[in-house]
Amino acid sequence: MADVQDTIRERAAALLSSGEVSAVIGWGAGRFDDVRFPLVVKRAEDAGKLVFDASCVQMTAKRLLEHTGEGKVALVARGCESRAVNRFIADHQLTRDQVYVIGVPCPGMVDPATGETLKRCAECQVRNPVVHDELVGDPVPEPKPYRFAEVDRVEAMSREERRAFFDEMYGKCIRCYACRNACPCCTCRECFVEQDKVGWQGKAFNVNEARYYGMIRAFHTGDRCIECGECERACPMGLPLMVIMHQQVRDIDKLFGPYEGGGLTDSGPDPLRTYKTDDIEEFM
Amino acid sequence: MPRDNEQTGEFTPKILAFCCNWCTYAGADLAGLNRMNYPADVKVLRVPCSGRVNPQYVLKALQSGCDGVLVCGCHPGDCHYSTGNYYAKRRMMIFKRMVEFAGLSPERFQIRWISGSEAGKFRDTVVEVSEQIRALGPMENDAPSRAAIDAVAGTVASPEADEELFAAAKEAI
Ligand code: SF4
Ligand code: SF4
Ligand code: SF4
Repeated sequence: MADVQDTIRERAAALLSSGEVSAVIGWGAGRFDDVRFPLVVKRAEDAGKLVFDASCVQMTAKRLLEHTGEGKVALVARGCESRAVNRFIADHQLTRDQVYVIGVPCPGMVDPATGETLKRCAECQVRNPVVHDELVGDPVPEPKPYRFAEVDRVEAMSREERRAFFDEMYGKCIRCYACRNACPCCTCRECFVEQDKVGWQGKAFNVNEARYYGMIRAFHTGDRCIECGECERACPMGLPLMVIMHQQVRDIDKLFGPYEGGGLTDSGPDPLRTYKTDDIEEFM
Repeated sequence: MPRDNEQTGEFTPKILAFCCNWCTYAGADLAGLNRMNYPADVKVLRVPCSGRVNPQYVLKALQSGCDGVLVCGCHPGDCHYSTGNYYAKRRMMIFKRMVEFAGLSPERFQIRWISGSEAGKFRDTVVEVSEQIRALGPMENDAPSRAAIDAVAGTVASPEADEELFAAAKEAI
């Protein structure tokens, strides 16, 4: 990946010095060898600080929204970031001409804690950028691994066990909202959890309020989810948040036609924001 | 919250029914005009359209003391606003599957299409749902048994989640 990193640096320097973009978003070195952080480079001489290797675990696309209004911004985008760009465009957070996409086919990242493939990469369906202005490196094969193993496991449990599973999961949630902040679908100016005067989301720290938050957030993003797995990766409690996302994705796929996850194109409508008069009927 | 009938000692559930103004509410009205009998377990909440029912209301109701929720609207194709119930149908199909996946008893959340002339169907639906929920008992009965909790213990969060840190955080709050 060394030449990819070199090319990214070169291209970032060129784009910044020509003034075509005002910033380049990628990854920079962290305090340890295997730790990377999202990095926003604004001067051509800093382009050498950009890093690209198997430790770039974060999905950086959300940083784009912090820099809209600063002119065109370049984003180093793998499959997941490129789908997030499409998601932003479909959700009217961004226009295509506000972002310059430096596409990078992704070989998959390594979880620094275990040394194995990062979970969200092991479930990834789209490694090559679906949208890009230029491509750095050669396209990689798409293994399209099976991503519903955990859903199968939970689905096979009895109702009480499933309830116990989610009780334990939401019982551990500390409601830090990191999952929301990381998610490219969660771009509302005012999130329902912060509508204090409306008061849908209670402030008490207990499993019911965490369940309310977790399930409603999952439902808000269920039909737009790009399956990047960043919510789960960002969760400081290590909760298996993708199980409820994948469960919805699979149901939407079964009921309303092929759903390969949002973000494959930059246009709607999303499955729960449209209807067909001949949708199956089960509520007679 | 004691919800037993004072005279009989029998459990009386609280069931919230979202009824659309144009069909189901009229159907309920007609049931009243025809002096049909049905259990008073169901509390009718009138909404303009089944499409107005944000799925989060359902979860909120179940968490705030309701033992069951019924969402009713016009039959697809008959919506007063043309399309509201088509959207509701898609949303509710996915939301229902999601809450059931997360361990809710399926009977506690039901969706029915009842038109303004179907007073009998309204009565039958209320009777049926009420019987099902009476059999299930209060919402607290949905809680998992000790055996179920033990069966999944330790399989939820990844080992990196630091138990001790979590316990300390919880204590501090
Ligand atoms: S909800 Fe979907 S889109 Fe949002 S962070 Fe999680 S996987 Fe990504
Ligand atoms: S959780 Fe829902 S309301 Fe909050 S930002 Fe995400 S989509 Fe918007
Ligand atoms: S990131 Fe994890 S702990 Fe934080 S609010 Fe989301 S689920 Fe809860």
